[in-house]
Amino acid sequence: MIAAEQLEKRFGAITAVRGLSVRADDGAVTGLLGPNGAGKTTTLRMLYGVMSPDAGRISIDGVDAVKAPQQAQKRIGVLPDGYGLYPRLTAREHIRYFGELHGVTGPRLRARTQELIELLDMTGLADRRTSGFSHGERTKVALARALVHDPQNILLDEPTNGLDVMSTRTVRRIIRRLREDGRCVLFSSHVMQEVSALCDFVVVVAAGRVVGSGTPDELRAQTGRESLEDAFVALVGAPTEEELE
Amino acid sequence: MRPFLRQTLVVVRKELKDSSRDRRAIFAMIFGILIGPAVIAFMVDRLIDRERQAEQVRLPVVGAEHAPAFVDWLRAQDGVEVVAAPADPNRAVRDGSEDVVLVIADDFADRFRRVRAASVDVVSDRSREASRPKVTRVKELLTRYSSEIGALRLVARGVSPEVASTLKVNEIDVSTAQERAATILNFLGLFMLVSSLLGGMQLATDSTAGERERSSLEPLLVNPVPRAALVAGKWLAAAIASMVAVVFTMTFCILLLKRVLAPDIGIRVSIGPPQMVNMLIAALSICPLAAAVQACMGIYSRSFKEAQSYMGILTTIPVMAIAVVSSLYPLSSQPWMYAVPMLSQYMLVKSVIGGATPSVTAFVITTTVSLALTALLLVLMTRLFRSERIIFGR
Repeated sequence: MIAAEQLEKRFGAITAVRGLSVRADDGAVTGLLGPNGAGKTTTLRMLYGVMSPDAGRISIDGVDAVKAPQQAQKRIGVLPDGYGLYPRLTAREHIRYFGELHGVTGPRLRARTQELIELLDMTGLADRRTSGFSHGERTKVALARALVHDPQNILLDEPTNGLDVMSTRTVRRIIRRLREDGRCVLFSSHVMQEVSALCDFVVVVAAGRVVGSGTPDELRAQTGRESLEDAFVALVGAPTEEELE
Repeated sequence: MRPFLRQTLVVVRKELKDSSRDRRAIFAMIFGILIGPAVIAFMVDRLIDRERQAEQVRLPVVGAEHAPAFVDWLRAQDGVEVVAAPADPNRAVRDGSEDVVLVIADDFADRFRRVRAASVDVVSDRSREASRPKVTRVKELLTRYSSEIGALRLVARGVSPEVASTLKVNEIDVSTAQERAATILNFLGLFMLVSSLLGGMQLATDSTAGERERSSLEPLLVNPVPRAALVAGKWLAAAIASMVAVVFTMTFCILLLKRVLAPDIGIRVSIGPPQMVNMLIAALSICPLAAAVQACMGIYSRSFKEAQSYMGILTTIPVMAIAVVSSLYPLSSQPWMYAVPMLSQYMLVKSVIGGATPSVTAFVITTTVSLALTALLLVLMTRLFRSERIIFGR
């Protein structure tokens, strides 16, 4: 379970996140929905411990992630915004490297690596170097290494961005499976179909603040709009298409 | 095993594996290892060549017909071959087709008969280092002929030849082939230092600036690993690569000198296992520091390219500084030199090659300075690795 309260983050004169609170429960998929530049990536970076907030509290399964970021990081798996791979390592070596850094070793690591390779349909790729991989194949490797230590909480930054249909389906399948397993999944997106297809709970973010939250149905009801997209637009504060006409 | 150490070693293993598949890293390492033996082989080859040249003189003589007895005497000397002279001796020497030409004056026979100094011109180009031994040999021959004939003339007049010699100059050349070889051996220290810089360079750059440039740094930092362990792992991997390069450089250079070249120039390379151990202790102490400086620059650089240009400067400056300092202080080793990294390692290796055993204090100062600076840089790197400005670019 992930809970953040009153997060603040400034970069020089710019305040990227201002008093943002978000909560993601176990066994549910929570979507962080917002336009580009709303502060989604910065928020996630604070949650997964590579940026420290200027103010606010973060709790990962009850662990204070601001005070003990590494204790919190043990409990999370992350697919960051830019996930570079090492072009000279194979897919399997990527998964093993992150596993070893998490302290997973020996037969347990071998079994877990193989399990992920099969789960993500990577059997044909597993022992090839990643230098020539397609975007979809790279996403699979990044996802597999994020899950190697079997984390309770999973954070994904725009996981299906730029993916083809088949890879998108694989990612969705993994996310649903994690929810069924009772995991806590938090992902960011600016794509409405993605959010409506997957999320149990949506947090709408604009200009570093939460402007609305609830289940997709609740959001539609709150704003009085029929589609989630219109609800989103209303929450973010831009005029809808009808109003433009 | 403590988690910190275990995680450091995981990073070391990954970086070494990654780098061993990096063509640029392998190329830089092989270049660093082979440049030394290649240059040494070349220098020894020149040395042998020059000695042979002085012994075997091919001497063009202009106007041989004016002094047949003199030319016959020249022919009778060991290793001298008198040949026909080129049409324009001055030009032939200037354009390098001849090293030295002897010109016998037209009035040689006439003056010789009248017991006057007969003139011969030795045409040579003094700016040409390579022809010097040959020119010296020819001049020696002329002096010898001159004094032999002079002595005969005095004897013929009933005067002891000793009357005419105020000084009896005996030239004793103490430079042996062994010593000339020692100047070549001195380069060994320089080559070991160069390969310590080249060995870990690509790994240090690729695992820091490269890691950020291909945006694999952020996912790496998501793992529950202290930044200090990541820094330590990357630094240690580069230091290991650097040490491997130094060991190979030394081994190859010494094998080359002992097995292949020493028999050719008839010298003994008196470097046994104890000397090799001393040289390794001296030279390897630079590796941790070289790797730390390189990794630190890699972390600090905005891009891989920027890091590479720093590496170029880093490799050039110490080598040039050593060249300057060793020409300013050709023989002496000043105490302060042992507090200057690179220079201290160079001095130590040099004195071991020269047959001395440097004092334990010199070793201790050298190693302590390098390790202290390394520790300082590791702390700085960990700080940099914690800075969001550095991690996410500026």
